[in-house]
Amino acid sequence: MPHSHSTKALLALAAAALVLTRFVAPACAADGAVQIKLVEGHFEPQTLTVPAGQPLVIEVTNVTGKTAEFESFLLNREKVVEPGQVITVRVGPLSPGSYDFYDDFNQAVPQGSIVAR
Amino acid sequence: MGLAPVGKYLARAGVAIAIVLIAAQLVPIRLSNPPVTGDIAAPGEAGIALRGACYDCHSNQTGWPWYAQAAPLSWWIARDVEYGRRQVNFSIWNTYYPATRLRKLEWIGRSLKQPDMPPKWYRAMHPGARLTKAQRAALSAWFAGQVAAASATQ
Repeated sequence: MPHSHSTKALLALAAAALVLTRFVAPACAADGAVQIKLVEGHFEPQTLTVPAGQPLVIEVTNVTGKTAEFESFLLNREKVVEPGQVITVRVGPLSPGSYDFYDDFNQAVPQGSIVAR
Repeated sequence: MGLAPVGKYLARAGVAIAIVLIAAQLVPIRLSNPPVTGDIAAPGEAGIALRGACYDCHSNQTGWPWYAQAAPLSWWIARDVEYGRRQVNFSIWNTYYPATRLRKLEWIGRSLKQPDMPPKWYRAMHPGARLTKAQRAALSAWFAGQVAAASATQ
């Protein structure tokens, strides 16, 4: 029956939409975000290059067992990252240059830098 | 009667809250003042303002208020002091690497330009920690001098 066919088509569309929402939306949300990981004693990567003149989303993951604070004086950002936590830091368009960041709770962690080009 | 069941529920809720609060007191919490190993040498007015407004959270010389012994407030206060000390601890100031000291000085200079340091809730509980314009100016001037001196040696 045509009615049954259209219902099936609608159901199929809804299922496809659900699948897209589940798997594509998070990827879109994180699209463009740069990833920084704090592992034992250092940041990974230590230096990352981003395009200048564009807003920046940074996702910082703390895979150590200690509370850390992702901090950058030049970016004017500071945010605590608990062990296992992922935080998101948003900054406006950057002028070309180098912006250092560090773990403010542990001065032994070498600082990293974001280079905007 | 309409009110009786409500009264019963309120009484039960009160008992439940009391039990939770009593149980919360059993969770151990450490309010400690570790040794001072390298106190910052801030002189005169700047030193007085620093001790009066900043030392409770940013030193090992915290004056723990009586309510810091009562959970759940104690958990919040202990956590705040822990984070405050880790951000900048004037009692271990001389143990910081020169680069660390410089960036902390820069942050302090920036914080002093904001009205929210010390935080509002802290100022409400500690009227003595409210910085006057003169005290803020004295602190800013002293820290600016420290930034200049530290930058010169970098």
